Amino acid sequence: MDVPKPRILTARWGIPGSHTLAVAQEHGAYTALRKALTMAPADITAVVKASGLRGRGGAGFPTGTKWTFVPPEEKRGGKPVYLVCNADESEPGTFKDRYCIWNDPHMLIEGCVIAARAIGAKVAYIYLRGEFKYVKDRLDQALAEARAAGLVGKNILGSGVDVDVWTHQGAGAYICGEETALLSSLEGERGQPKLKPPFPAVEGAWRSPTIVNNVETLQAVTWIVEHGADAYKAIGTEKAPGTKLFCCSGNIRKPGVYELPLGYPMMELLNDECGGLLPGRSLKAVIPGGSSVPIMTPAEVARATMDYESINEVSGSYLGSGGFIVMDDRTDLVDALANLLRFYAHESCGQCTPCREGCGWMYSILTRLRDGEATEADIRVLRDLANNIHSRTICFFGASAAMPVQSFLKKFPEEFFARAGVGVPDDWRPAASAK
Amino acid sequence: MAAFPQPPAQGHGPVDWSDQDRAEIAELMTHYPTQRAALLPILWLAQRKWGWLSFDVMRRVAQTVDLPPSEVYSVATFYTMLKKQPTGKYLIQVCHTLSCKLAGADRIVEHIKDRLGIEEGQTTPDGMFTLMRVECLASCGSAPMMQIDDDFFEQLTPESIDRILDGLAKGEPLPLPRPEVDKWTFQSLES
Amino acid sequence: MPIVKINGVEIEVPAGTNMIDAAAKAGFDIPHYCYHPHLSIAGNCRMCTCEIEAGGRGLEIACNMQARDGLAIRTDSPQVKAVRRNVMEFLLKNHPLDCPICDQSGECRLQDYYMEHGQYESRLADPKVGKHKRMDIGDHLVLDAERCIACSRCVRFGDEVTGTGELRLFNRTDHTEIGIFPGERISHAYQGNLADICPVGAITSKDFRFEKRVWYLDETDSVCTGCATGCNIRVCHQQGQVFRYMPRRNDAVNKSWMCDHGRLGWQDIASLRRVLRARIDGKQAELSEGIRAAAAALRGVDASSVAFVLGTRATNEANWALWKVARANLPQAGVYWCQGNDPGAWSQVDDLLMDADKNPNRAGARALADHDAAIGDGTDLAHAVREGKVRMLVVLHDDVLGRLEDAAEGVAVLHLGSQRNTTADKARIVLPATHPTEQDGTFTNRAGRVQRIRRALPAAGDALPDWQLVELLGAALGKGPGARDAATAFKLLAGEVKAFAGMTYKDLGGGGLPLRQPEPLPSPPPAQPAAP
Repeated sequence: MDVPKPRILTARWGIPGSHTLAVAQEHGAYTALRKALTMAPADITAVVKASGLRGRGGAGFPTGTKWTFVPPEEKRGGKPVYLVCNADESEPGTFKDRYCIWNDPHMLIEGCVIAARAIGAKVAYIYLRGEFKYVKDRLDQALAEARAAGLVGKNILGSGVDVDVWTHQGAGAYICGEETALLSSLEGERGQPKLKPPFPAVEGAWRSPTIVNNVETLQAVTWIVEHGADAYKAIGTEKAPGTKLFCCSGNIRKPGVYELPLGYPMMELLNDECGGLLPGRSLKAVIPGGSSVPIMTPAEVARATMDYESINEVSGSYLGSGGFIVMDDRTDLVDALANLLRFYAHESCGQCTPCREGCGWMYSILTRLRDGEATEADIRVLRDLANNIHSRTICFFGASAAMPVQSFLKKFPEEFFARAGVGVPDDWRPAASAK
Repeated sequence: MAAFPQPPAQGHGPVDWSDQDRAEIAELMTHYPTQRAALLPILWLAQRKWGWLSFDVMRRVAQTVDLPPSEVYSVATFYTMLKKQPTGKYLIQVCHTLSCKLAGADRIVEHIKDRLGIEEGQTTPDGMFTLMRVECLASCGSAPMMQIDDDFFEQLTPESIDRILDGLAKGEPLPLPRPEVDKWTFQSLES
Repeated sequence: MPIVKINGVEIEVPAGTNMIDAAAKAGFDIPHYCYHPHLSIAGNCRMCTCEIEAGGRGLEIACNMQARDGLAIRTDSPQVKAVRRNVMEFLLKNHPLDCPICDQSGECRLQDYYMEHGQYESRLADPKVGKHKRMDIGDHLVLDAERCIACSRCVRFGDEVTGTGELRLFNRTDHTEIGIFPGERISHAYQGNLADICPVGAITSKDFRFEKRVWYLDETDSVCTGCATGCNIRVCHQQGQVFRYMPRRNDAVNKSWMCDHGRLGWQDIASLRRVLRARIDGKQAELSEGIRAAAAALRGVDASSVAFVLGTRATNEANWALWKVARANLPQAGVYWCQGNDPGAWSQVDDLLMDADKNPNRAGARALADHDAAIGDGTDLAHAVREGKVRMLVVLHDDVLGRLEDAAEGVAVLHLGSQRNTTADKARIVLPATHPTEQDGTFTNRAGRVQRIRRALPAAGDALPDWQLVELLGAALGKGPGARDAATAFKLLAGEVKAFAGMTYKDLGGGGLPLRQPEPLPSPPPAQPAAP
């Protein structure tokens, strides 16, 4: 498509030594921070709010608005404010944050300090998933360099602003990508999501106001502060400004991370950036936003653009984290869904009844179906279980496990019933679409 | 789904930190408003030091952060990367979630099994390698992939696996050369 | 105070009340597993899901919903009923179907709620997850992790009530199970509560396990007499035999808890230390004979050398009656109250429930002494005995001689009590009183709260309620206080003693009332830390 493809987040990727302070600064790092240090915190928030930036972790909530939920100092009862960067990247199909950190750790550090200043935090934590040890090592080196250069820590660049940034390594738990579970884990607990209310912005880490932002979000903040809200809004769509990192995987020629303006046509992402399908293959389905979002049919893919609104309008699915998983005609969708449910059955934190008991149950049924040992009745039970888990739990994990089941069964029922040796029952589709 | 491993009865016997460990722990604790928050970093430290988290190790960690040992066990059993039983010198973890599966993770696992002569969850008789399947490691674009200890190995082929395992068997240290680590787009191995 | 609407019924509740409690106040029972009024909110079982009609939207869990003006919920809509049925189905997915051999049967919330809210065709074709079974986790507890529904009540109890934190959730997913660290055991004195709050058969009591199916048990509300705290209890019994004590909720006294010492207090009902027959000079006698002999003995000495000692283990009714009998029949006699030694009593003390004073009614005896300045205390009594002014002691329950030691050598003792002690053993005349489970009456706890005990069992042997023994003794001396039953005795007491003014058994109800002029004893129970 003939739209500009500005490299906002990936500008320094590929520059040799881009992870070092010297190279990063040579290419513009910390310009935004210097500017932010001259701005009032409320003005930083105002710019981010005006830019229309939406959280890149999956929910797409406006970042600037989220920041305003931190109670004003006089209502905090002396409690500190924390900024937590979610680098727990664990959603199957999503693999952008580790490249962000690996290729440009200073852009994240800069974003953390700016955001911390905006919300009044003196400490920021970057929570990396446990498997990112080698990424964390590089980030720690970058932090050490930044600290030595007075860009992090006390009295940053002589401004009187203090922001410490610490990395924190998880230890293997998908659920810690959920922001309240992440906070539990940061506090040294089991990574179990917390009840809301209270929301983290009011009562988060150590019961203090806490803002949790994704890596990509904070890096976008850096760019926005440097270039202004209008420049950001000039990219992408009206409701979803800016660029997004799309993580493309599955049966495509050129898998990888692509930075594109939001609103980019899905088919062009598939055929141009991703190089299209493998020779002789045809498209069966796409999961557009990480494994938790509903699956899309080829017809839906043809009509959708890569932004929050279009995907939802066209297919009922979500842009999510931008994990774009392509499945060609060889894919056994029963097997694929069983694979995903094994993931959810393995990752449920075990707290809420429906999710704890239901994910394993759904996986169990799917393995039987995959192996040709399930009946039509089992497929109905499977759908019921998904419906009974969705929105019945403390956090969004339950829905995340339910949506693949609901959408696969709704959009590709033939494959599932065929595995049970029957055709799609007459009553199936209306009931499925009722949910 | 396999049951979560229960720690074996045998452990390390009484264990203690070195002065250097204590200094590191003290430094870690300065990062957080509570000493309890340092539990995960300290468990990581303990695992690096003692290889795995036996009950003896968990008891020591519990004393260090002033928690009941049951609490440390509770946390340790929540996170899959914290080892509740010993593994071989190298822990090979092959991702088998959807994108890796689509890219042939099952064949990768089979290849490693054949080569090492072990099943998933087992350790080679020489104690060098333990093989496990794991869920998504956020390397879907460079699938299939595996993690050996702290390092990712991406776009795996039987040949590249053989090279890596040969190297380790010969005593080459991690990290081995990983040409994929600085890339973010890939050519599908199938194309 | 906010006004909320539950199933169309408006009710005003204190701000901060959660909707389970608010609904209960409005007369609607919202089923729940993980919620417990005296523990923090976990919100994990999802059974209390309700539909919001106004002031919000969708389905929310009632336990984490605080009352606010304009909030209206439904607890009985088709959607809510469906959610409950679904939650039940999930809960039973991995729950063993071993009800026939499970000791929780009959008081199991899975069973109860299944009958009320479940009732579906089983759709389970997949295997259940296996977990640890029959784990010995403490002197009083057995854990079956397969039956656990991971509600985390026991974990929160250990964190928030005892602060010992032994029980934890291990693993995650449907392999989540509770347990303790290998090699450790739960050793605190509140273990029984863990079995109580476990809504299923995961944690059961070793002391009660397999002793009796609960549906055979009758229950009588009473008060623990193990110490001055006066925890409210239910006496669970069948055919004259007690099988267990259970704590009964009283937010002003014991919340929902009791200690293990108190919980096993019923074991002294049938103990060898029980006094079952009257004894005169070491020989067993008919009760009527004993009473006559006691009256004769009192008549046979100089009234001014007689000391009546109110009991700290006696009921308020009996103490009042003894005081009345003394004043009416032997006005020159001294009346005292003192705390007796009880060498058999357990000595554990804490700032949760276990009081150093192991007598249930010291505050009651003291309230009488406060009413009649002529009633002396333990020091006065010791002084009088040492000066040789006391030739005969009339003792209610307490081990007064144990306290007076050698000073009381040669003093004749009439002992009215239910348990043997040094005083009873040395007494010339012993009259058998009932155990607190065998009579009605009241005790006044350490905080000055007057609480009822109720008769659950027939009296053992020839024993009579303590107040009644005193009544009969008074009658034999010429004038009893004139109470036909415990309720009348209490009414007369309340009519006379200001601290009890106007109280009746009916007013006391299940939870008791504070003395009118509260005379709190030292070391009241400290406030428990608020649930986080």
